[in-house]
Amino acid sequence: MAVLLPYLYTGGVHKHGLLIELMEDLGGYIIQKVVTGTEVNLIMLVPEKDVDVVKKLSDELLGVLVEAPLTGVEIAVVSPTLASHHLPHSACDVAEYLRHPGANTNMIGLARGMGRRVSLSMDYERKLINEHDIAVFTFGSFSDCITKKKPKLFEGIEIPIVVTGGPADLKTEDVPGADLYIGNIGRVSHRLRRTEEINALDSLNEGVSKIADNIRKQQAKDPLAVLPARVMKEIENQVQEIRTVLSPAPLTLQLNGLRVKLPYDEFHEKIEKLEFDEGVTLSELADISRSKMKNYILIKIKSKSDVGFAI
Amino acid sequence: MDSLETFVVESAIDSEQEFYRKIIEDNLASLKLAPAIGRIKVVLRPEDSLFQMAIILRDVGTKVTTIDIADVEAKPIAGEVIISITKEQYIPELLVKLWERYGKANISQPDRWTVTISTDRAVEEAAFLKDMMVADPRHRLHENLVDFAIRATPEGFRVRYHLYKGNRFVFVASEEALKHEWIEEAGAMLEELMEGGKK
Repeated sequence: MAVLLPYLYTGGVHKHGLLIELMEDLGGYIIQKVVTGTEVNLIMLVPEKDVDVVKKLSDELLGVLVEAPLTGVEIAVVSPTLASHHLPHSACDVAEYLRHPGANTNMIGLARGMGRRVSLSMDYERKLINEHDIAVFTFGSFSDCITKKKPKLFEGIEIPIVVTGGPADLKTEDVPGADLYIGNIGRVSHRLRRTEEINALDSLNEGVSKIADNIRKQQAKDPLAVLPARVMKEIENQVQEIRTVLSPAPLTLQLNGLRVKLPYDEFHEKIEKLEFDEGVTLSELADISRSKMKNYILIKIKSKSDVGFAI
Repeated sequence: MDSLETFVVESAIDSEQEFYRKIIEDNLASLKLAPAIGRIKVVLRPEDSLFQMAIILRDVGTKVTTIDIADVEAKPIAGEVIISITKEQYIPELLVKLWERYGKANISQPDRWTVTISTDRAVEEAAFLKDMMVADPRHRLHENLVDFAIRATPEGFRVRYHLYKGNRFVFVASEEALKHEWIEEAGAMLEELMEGGKK
């Protein structure tokens, strides 16, 4: 199986179709295309040996091609509540910054996450968070809260947990249950723009990318039965209705599956019967269930060892 | 008293003190409260889930009446009262009051500085309007202060006590039931500020 590398192309709309055609010829995938005015952003998976070809074309089009290590990763940015204490700064700034390297982020505000003794999460919220690849919890400025009180919100979360908070001197080990702690992003009432804040956001992106790489490495030992990007392409070809969905990412890739933003009751059979050239249907390769997010469809792809073969 | 001549934030951990100082500064700026505050002291005790704040306000203007911001002229023959505005900042409040009393149909604004009211009792109405209270900066200040206190406090601290008397404002918030001594401590902070405040 060809190794695919994630890249982000930014350039003018003019002739960007050439890049899409090239991607089809090379067997790569366009994950997301965002057109803003005369600019276009293409997030894509490029076959490793053809990166030079794509780079050459992007130079010809006077665009910029950069690596996007978080492509195909869906991240939950969890804030204690949706009150003005946490939003839009800093939780939105964190979510926005994570999108730069290609991640899809969802903001989740807990119903009762605020406070020390009284903070708690609901079963529904935990299940929703667990649908993602990585959870980023944005906490406040008191180290006492971050180390002693808030970690109870991690109970029942099975995906890697990243914590952001104010104190810069805390270490990851000090926060029980966290896989990574990033300081200098606490509760603020202004946009994050000072040097140490931007540095903290950069190290957050770096840390989250490392966690995503680790998950990919673990996955490589027992690969998925089918690439999520390939399922995405087949859905685009076989389920025409996906073109009418207005969400920014109608098909959201995850490391081990994808979220289809179509109503479950109407479309789950169509998705289950999705056919591949090899003669198998998607229901043989993946678990298809109702997502906790709205009424969407969640596809979690089984591993090669479960299915017995990979395509 | 200068604005913000004393601005103290106290907490057991220095760095956390800085975070809260910044949060308070940002919120003061976004509510445009800084000029109204003379001295402010905030004490944080996260281990007790406690937030205390004492503020001494500077003199904020007195009540504003129509005559302070405009010239009122009665035109009994035309059946009109003409208000010529001199201070534009209070126009929204003035218009709201006028609409309430005379109805939108009877009020016209031929230009930015003039408001005309059609009425049969021009002389009496003009006399009334001259002394009508248009805005009370203290009322607006109170609203802003409470808003500011809630924005600055950690979100989980939902049990709150506040006192607003003269130019003094005390605010205590916690997650637990408030203890009497916490409110007394905040009162003592206020006394300290009254004496000039420790820098």
